[in-house]
Amino acid sequence: MGSRAERLAPLVLVAPAVLIIVVLRLWPLVLGVNFSFTGDGDRNGMMVGFANYLTLFSDPLFRTALRNVGLLVLLLPVAVAIPGLLATFIYLRVPGHRLYRGVYFFPAVLSPVIVGAIFNLLLAFDGPLNRLLGGLGLGPVDWLGDPGVAIFTVVGVHVWATFGMALVVFLAGFATLDSSLLDAAKVDGASFAQTIWHVIVPSLSRTIQFVFVTTMIGMLTSMFGLLYVMTSGGPEGSTYLPEYYIWIQQGQMNQPALASAASTALFLIMLVVGLAQIGILRRAAGKED
Amino acid sequence: MKQRTLWTTALVVGLTLTAGCGSAAGPGSSSGGSSDKLVVWDWKSGDPKAAGYVEKAKADFAKKHPGVNVEFVAQPFDQYYTLLGAAIQAGKGPDVILFNGGGQIRDRSDALAPLDSYVADDKQRLAGWDAFTKAGKVYAEPVTLQGHPIYYNKDLYQKAGIDAPAKTWDDFVKNCGVVTAKTGAKCFALGNKEGVGIQFFLSAMGSAVLTPQEYDDWIAGKRNWSSPDVKRIFELWKQTADAGLNTDGANSTAMFNDAFAAFNSAKAANVIGLMSDVGHWKDFAEFLTPEKLGVMQAPLVNPAAKPSLPYDGGIGYAVAKWTKDPKLAADLVRSLTSTEALKAFYVDGGAIASDTTIDTSAGGPAVKTIVSEVKSGKPALHVALSSKTIDLMGRLSQQLLSGSTTVDDVLQQLAASDKTG
Repeated sequence: MGSRAERLAPLVLVAPAVLIIVVLRLWPLVLGVNFSFTGDGDRNGMMVGFANYLTLFSDPLFRTALRNVGLLVLLLPVAVAIPGLLATFIYLRVPGHRLYRGVYFFPAVLSPVIVGAIFNLLLAFDGPLNRLLGGLGLGPVDWLGDPGVAIFTVVGVHVWATFGMALVVFLAGFATLDSSLLDAAKVDGASFAQTIWHVIVPSLSRTIQFVFVTTMIGMLTSMFGLLYVMTSGGPEGSTYLPEYYIWIQQGQMNQPALASAASTALFLIMLVVGLAQIGILRRAAGKED
Repeated sequence: MKQRTLWTTALVVGLTLTAGCGSAAGPGSSSGGSSDKLVVWDWKSGDPKAAGYVEKAKADFAKKHPGVNVEFVAQPFDQYYTLLGAAIQAGKGPDVILFNGGGQIRDRSDALAPLDSYVADDKQRLAGWDAFTKAGKVYAEPVTLQGHPIYYNKDLYQKAGIDAPAKTWDDFVKNCGVVTAKTGAKCFALGNKEGVGIQFFLSAMGSAVLTPQEYDDWIAGKRNWSSPDVKRIFELWKQTADAGLNTDGANSTAMFNDAFAAFNSAKAANVIGLMSDVGHWKDFAEFLTPEKLGVMQAPLVNPAAKPSLPYDGGIGYAVAKWTKDPKLAADLVRSLTSTEALKAFYVDGGAIASDTTIDTSAGGPAVKTIVSEVKSGKPALHVALSSKTIDLMGRLSQQLLSGSTTVDDVLQQLAASDKTG
C-alpha cells in the first residue's frame, strides 16, 4: 500500500474517461429507458408501465422488423463467405487479381444513399436488369416491389457495398498465412476445395471471426440509409428493421416514448449479440493460446 | 464485493430519482426568442423559388413592427418533424413553425397556441382552414392549398380519337382501353412505393363514389368503413391493378417523382397529382406544354355522388405555445399570408396559394380549371385520417396491388386503426 495520493492517482487519471462515458452514454441510456415507460400524446409524461412494450410486441410491423434481424443473422455466413472466397482468389493470383483488388474495394467508399440511388435505377421494374432478364427470356422480377424478394435485394446490395472492407481484412489475414502449408498441400495433391477447407480456413480462423463480428455489427446498424432510399420499409412493410421503425415512430408518428421502447429493445438485442460474439472470440482466443 | 454493492446502490438511487421525470415536456420549461426577435422554422425559405415570398412577408412585418428581428431557419424536410419533435419535447425552440396540414399539425397541436382571436380578419380572404383546425380551434394560417386533381394528357387522348374526358368511371376505363391500344400508354401513372398512391386515389375518387352525406360524415370523423360505398373505393383501387390500368411495378415506383416522370414522358394518359409544391400543373406543363395538359373531374361511379375537387390547406404557419408574445408571433404569421407575399409564392413557385383573390388567368387552362373548382371543393378524405392509419393504409394498399389480401380484410384493419388512432 502506497500513500493516499498514490492510491488516488489512478482514479483521477481515469475520471475524465469515466465521466464522459457516464454523462454522455450511460446517463442518456438510463433516461431513454425511463422515458420508454411513459406515455405518448395525451398520456405524455405519465408512467404507463410496460404498455409501450405491449404495443410494440403486438405491432406486426415491429415483429417483422425483429424477424428481419433474425434473417440478417442467418444470411451472415453468406456475407462473410463472399469476401472470403474472393480474397482467396486474389491471394491465389487468378489472372487480373490486381485489378480485382481495386474494383472490389471501390463500393466501400460510396455513401449508402448513392449506392441506393444507383441500384434504384438498375433494379427498377423497367430498369436495365429486368431488360437483361427479358432478353434471356425470363420474366421481370419486381426486385424492390415484391415483399418476398425486397429484403434479399436490399441485403444483397448492402453486402455488395460493404464487402470491400472485409476483403481487405481477409487479405491482411492471408499475409500471415504460412505459404509452406499451401505448398505442402499442393505436393500432397489436395484439390482446390480441400486446400480451402483444410488449410486456409483453419489458418485464418481468427480473421474469419473478426469479420463475422464486424459484418454483423454493420448489418444491424448501418442499413438505414439503404432502406430509406431503396424501399422506405416497404413493400407491405416487409423490409422494416428496428432502426427504421424507431425513426418512423419518433419522426413520422410523433410517438417518442414508443420509439424509446423500441430503442431499448434494439439495445437489448445488440447487447445479447455483442456478448455472444465476445464470448465466441474469447473462447477462440483461449484455444489458440 | 463491497464495491459492487456500492455501485448497485448508486444505480438504484439514480433510477428512483429519475422515475417519472421522463415527461416529454418538463414543467416550467418554456423559452423561445426574446420579445424583440422571432425565430421561424420551415423547410421552404432556403428554396430560391421561395426567396421572393419570404422577402415580401418580411417587408410586410417590418412595416408593422419595425424593431423586431425575424430569423428564418430552413430545416431539411426529411428531418423536419424529427427535429421539431425534439424541440417540442424540450419545450423550447422556434416561435413560428411551418406545418403540413392534417395529421402532422393535429398530432402536435398540444405544443401550439390557438390563433382564432388573431386571424378573424383573414377568414374570408383565405381558403383551406380545415386542415389546420382541431376541435374547433385554428392552429395555423394556410399558405398554399394542396389537393389532388386528376390530370390528363390531351395529346394522348386526341391520338386515340377522344375529344373530352369521360364523365363516368365505366367510360373512363373504356377510354383508357382505347388510348392504350392506340398509343401504348397506360391509364394511370402510379407510384405506390411510399404508400402515397392510395392516398391520392382515395381522395381523388372519393367524391365520385361517396354520397355528399357520407363524404361530410367522413370528414367530420364519423367514418363507416363497412359501408358499401367506402368498400367500392378500395375495390376500384384493386380493379386498377387487376385490369392492368397502372404503370408497371407500382409498388416499387416512387410517386415523387418517378410516377410523375412517367406521366411527363407520356407513358400514361392520366395521373392523380398535386396542386402545389411538386407534381403539379406547373411541373407537368413544362413537359407537356400548358395547352396539352388538362384537368378532369373525377369520373362518376355512384349516381348519388357529386364529384368535387379534394383540397385542403397545404402548408401553414403556426405559433408555438412557448413563445413570449403570441400576438407578435401571430402578426408575423399574418404577414406570411399577406396577399402580396402569397402572390410571389404563386408566381415563383407555382403553388396554388390559399388567397383566392390572386389572379391566376395567365397560368394556362389546367390551373384555371383547378382554381375555378376551389370554391365548390371539399377537404380531401385521406387528410382526415391519422398518420398511423395513413401509414397502415399505405402498406395494405400495396398488398391489394400485389393481390395478397382482400378488400374486406383491408377495411377491417383500417376500421380498427381508425378507432384507436
